[in-house]
Amino acid sequence: MSEIRVRGLKKNFGKLEVLRGVDLDIGSGKVLCIVGPSGSGKSTLLRCINLLVMPDEGEIYLDSVALTNPHLRPEWVRQQIGMVFQSFNLFTHLTVKKNVMLALRHAKKIDRAAAEKTAVYQLTRVGLADKMEAYPAQLSGGQQQRVAIARALAMDPKAMLFDEPTSALDPESIHEVLAVMGRLAEEGMTMAVVTHEMGFAKEVADRVVFFDGGRVLEEGSPTEIFDRAGHERTQAFMQKILR
Amino acid sequence: MTGGLPPNGTLSPASPEPGRVTGFRRLLTWRAWSPVVYGIAATVGGILFLIELGNLGVYRLSFALDQVNPLLGGFYTSLEVVAVILSLGFGLGFVVGWARTTRFLILRGLGSVFVDFFRSMPPIALIVFAALIGGIELKGSNLNPYQIHNITLWLGVLVLGFHTAAYQAEIVRAGILSVPAGQTDASDAVGISRIRSMFVVVLPQAFRVSLPALGNEFSSSIKDTSLLYTIGWVEISGAALIQTSFAYTVYLYGSLVIWFEAAFLYFVITYLVTRSVRGIEDLFKVPGLEVAHT
Repeated sequence: MSEIRVRGLKKNFGKLEVLRGVDLDIGSGKVLCIVGPSGSGKSTLLRCINLLVMPDEGEIYLDSVALTNPHLRPEWVRQQIGMVFQSFNLFTHLTVKKNVMLALRHAKKIDRAAAEKTAVYQLTRVGLADKMEAYPAQLSGGQQQRVAIARALAMDPKAMLFDEPTSALDPESIHEVLAVMGRLAEEGMTMAVVTHEMGFAKEVADRVVFFDGGRVLEEGSPTEIFDRAGHERTQAFMQKILR
Repeated sequence: MTGGLPPNGTLSPASPEPGRVTGFRRLLTWRAWSPVVYGIAATVGGILFLIELGNLGVYRLSFALDQVNPLLGGFYTSLEVVAVILSLGFGLGFVVGWARTTRFLILRGLGSVFVDFFRSMPPIALIVFAALIGGIELKGSNLNPYQIHNITLWLGVLVLGFHTAAYQAEIVRAGILSVPAGQTDASDAVGISRIRSMFVVVLPQAFRVSLPALGNEFSSSIKDTSLLYTIGWVEISGAALIQTSFAYTVYLYGSLVIWFEAAFLYFVITYLVTRSVRGIEDLFKVPGLEVAHT
């Protein structure tokens, strides 16, 4: 697995400064949880890391490769880093298996048989071997999110980004999805997770950052951030969500 | 494998309907062919009805049969024109509709001008303008009058194709806009290029939503071809008008019979086209996504 380093990342949407100089390190095989109030720029940060949003300033490194290098194709960068969205974003017109195969066929350009093999393997890994031919609209939220994880993993990414992966789910589905993510962490995947699941963050995260107003306000181990936050703003936020 | 996954049995079952036929095999089912069978039954019924009318004196079978050949000649011409207009209209409408959704300002601008112009002109004015301007421009050329006439005829077809293309462009544009941004986020995130994502992610979903409206526009543009008689096309309406000019000398209800037959021929073309669109709709159906059972 690979490490991700973010240096001095800035992004404006018109006059709105969304990211105001973010520095961040995710060690190889480590899990970083990003918490913070809505509108603080957490999603934009993740979307900048795989260049879904082009940053205005700053550098992002995947190991020694500067992803912000304009000579790199963004498509190549995105194939290196998997992403999972809050609203799953499965391709609604394709079966579960074809959802996973699509990028293998059209981005990695591997042949159908090999793509199918990978899809079956990844879907079995997330426990959906019996749903291969179903369409996304026929699945529960938790199942859809696990397909989305399998879809990202099929590209054999060097790191994974999760943008509030459980926020749209019911408690039972949350458990399903967090179980898959926990196992992925155990297997040594480098992960950045924007989440409000404090239980997951405490249990699985190696580091936690508190994000507010477009910058990292505080960073530390889960216990440092949740129980002994130094910053007033962090304390107030934690009090609200840990109730 | 470590970690606790719930056993699959605990998850809500959402298997596809048993026995559901998917893909192109849907075209081989009774559902796909039943309209044809109903159509034939209706035709036979209609003919029997006409014979009955003939017995009552409204309808003279010999007169009605005499109209069939001239009208069929018009029917074949109509088929030819409809084929050109539908393929031109859809092809161009698709390209223009897509152009209007890109981030390239010039493409969007050109698309808008095209749509604004051809959508706001009455089709009959477009046809007459095209034929007249074509005729005037070609007057001094070394083409013979017959060739010039032929060119003006096809110019009329061309602008009628542009007219329906303008409407179809808006339908395609609406379809593309209906695809949520999350879909392109997802295809971007797995590294599929924008242009490929258009073909494998956006358009299949846009097309699915657009089909009913496209079917509407197809059927409406088929009937617009009747305006082509104004510049000399002898398609169904042209043939019917010619026959009508003779009919009053034969008997009172003559023109009624002719236009009844002409209307029936329009119905045949429209029905064939809209039913085919319906068949294509079935191909694009997504299990679990439809609210209505159509």
